[in-house]
Amino acid sequence: MRNLSSLKQEFLRKWIKGLRKYNSQKKNMNLLERKKAIKLSADLAMASTRNKATLWRKALVAKTSIDESNKNDISTSSQPKKIRKKLTNSSPLCRKRRRIRTVYKAKERVEASFIAKKMVQKRTRKLKSLLPGGKSMDEACLVDETLDYIESLRAQVEVMRCLVTASELFINPSPP
Amino acid sequence: MSSRRSRSRQSGASSEITDAQITDLVAKLLRLIPELRPSRSGKVSAAKVLQETCNYIKNLHREVDDLSDRLSQLLATTDSNSAQAAIIRSLLMK
Repeated sequence: MRNLSSLKQEFLRKWIKGLRKYNSQKKNMNLLERKKAIKLSADLAMASTRNKATLWRKALVAKTSIDESNKNDISTSSQPKKIRKKLTNSSPLCRKRRRIRTVYKAKERVEASFIAKKMVQKRTRKLKSLLPGGKSMDEACLVDETLDYIESLRAQVEVMRCLVTASELFINPSPP
Repeated sequence: MSSRRSRSRQSGASSEITDAQITDLVAKLLRLIPELRPSRSGKVSAAKVLQETCNYIKNLHREVDDLSDRLSQLLATTDSNSAQAAIIRSLLMK
């Protein structure tokens, strides 16, 4: 794994910049709005670190810009769903919703290798659903994307954890 | 570990994650995810690796959510005009 601390530094800088930008845009946010702003700026900061053109980064940036415009949207909740659908359909690598189901003989279906294979497929799908933009990734790049995403996610969590626990201790010092 | 060679009869099967990729994943994540360490026979199943990776990512997501919650509550302490709260707010919000 590459230099984690430089990744964290870059993230921290960009995150604080984003937080300040959000705060200058809209003062007096309620608790939920503020939490969303914190998460959005954290995700944007994470996606813009290292300047690598990974699929998850692009997908995360796209998602945060949607969420951002939805945040400011005063219309009903049906609209956000519409916007999100548009994005996935325009992706060229997007697979059809209905998968072609192969018919297997009963004898085949109980074999251990068959079951193991199905488990792997199921878990791969789950992993894809967790990665931003994972649905349009093919298996070849999935592992690399996962590793890069986990590294960045770890940096994000560790920085946030440090900042939050330090701030909490600072504001509410525990009694001696 | 069961063979993962796909039968020629099974058409329409998408390209699968290869054994080499799983081994690569395990090697890189071994430090972070202790569950990936082979227990008995010296081999970890691909399904288990994927599952533990998913769990790890889910936990990280949950922690980000929790930390965002706590931070938003910290910054919302507008009532407390303690010097400390003002410092935090000027750091993160100005």
